[in-house]
Amino acid sequence: MPLAPNYDKAVSDALNAANTEAMTLFASVSLGVQKYDFASRADQYAQVIGKLDALAISANARPVPKNAVTDKVNAVLDKTLPITIESSDARLPSVVAIRKIAETVTKMRDTDIKQGLSTYEVIAFKQQASIYFDQAITYENFLQR
Amino acid sequence: MGINTAQLVIDMKAAASAELNADVCAFRGFSERQLEAIAKQTEFVAIGIATKQITEETKDFFLDAIEDMSLNFVKTLRGLILATVEKVWNALVGVIWKALSDVTGLVLPVPVARI
Repeated sequence: MPLAPNYDKAVSDALNAANTEAMTLFASVSLGVQKYDFASRADQYAQVIGKLDALAISANARPVPKNAVTDKVNAVLDKTLPITIESSDARLPSVVAIRKIAETVTKMRDTDIKQGLSTYEVIAFKQQASIYFDQAITYENFLQR
Repeated sequence: MGINTAQLVIDMKAAASAELNADVCAFRGFSERQLEAIAKQTEFVAIGIATKQITEETKDFFLDAIEDMSLNFVKTLRGLILATVEKVWNALVGVIWKALSDVTGLVLPVPVARI
């Protein structure tokens, strides 16, 4: 009886690859950067953001089980772990996390263009992305059952 | 030959416990990592705003993100629980259907949820 989507090795592998690429990007700007040489980093940002956006689409394209049992379990969970119902089409927490990582890297890129990045802000962006990567990777790996 | 009810209960408990024990460890590890990381990020952002090391350009973004990541942590936990319920269900059904098959000599189809 399926209550959660199937494990998808391609999604899991792509997620791990995106994690490596994002962490490489954070490492490359970790000492802080000036906006005047943003052009030298533009391609790296585009690679990371593009792959994350593509991954979110792939991960969200999987069928998600919905049946009487999932409805009942969710009703119980609503009482103990309530969450806000969103209008977003993202049905899986890993998809939400991947989209949030893409937003994080996009915000870092836009800040880089506008004013450059301080070491402190790079750490804040990296920690934020790491939290979302942990959510996405943990969930996707847990589907391997 | 009938079903040994006492043994069936023992087998069901063992099957459910095996699944639950492994998954509860995973939940605990994930939750501890997330709570610690979100608390650290909250402190980091607060200090950064107070010391102006986080600029006006990014301040609201980081503050909003703390709420978003906390919400998605809970959603992830719910997703993990749902997968565990599935595993426990399958383990219990496997034990019960094996007991039925052993007694009846029939190969019974495992029940599926009605969609």
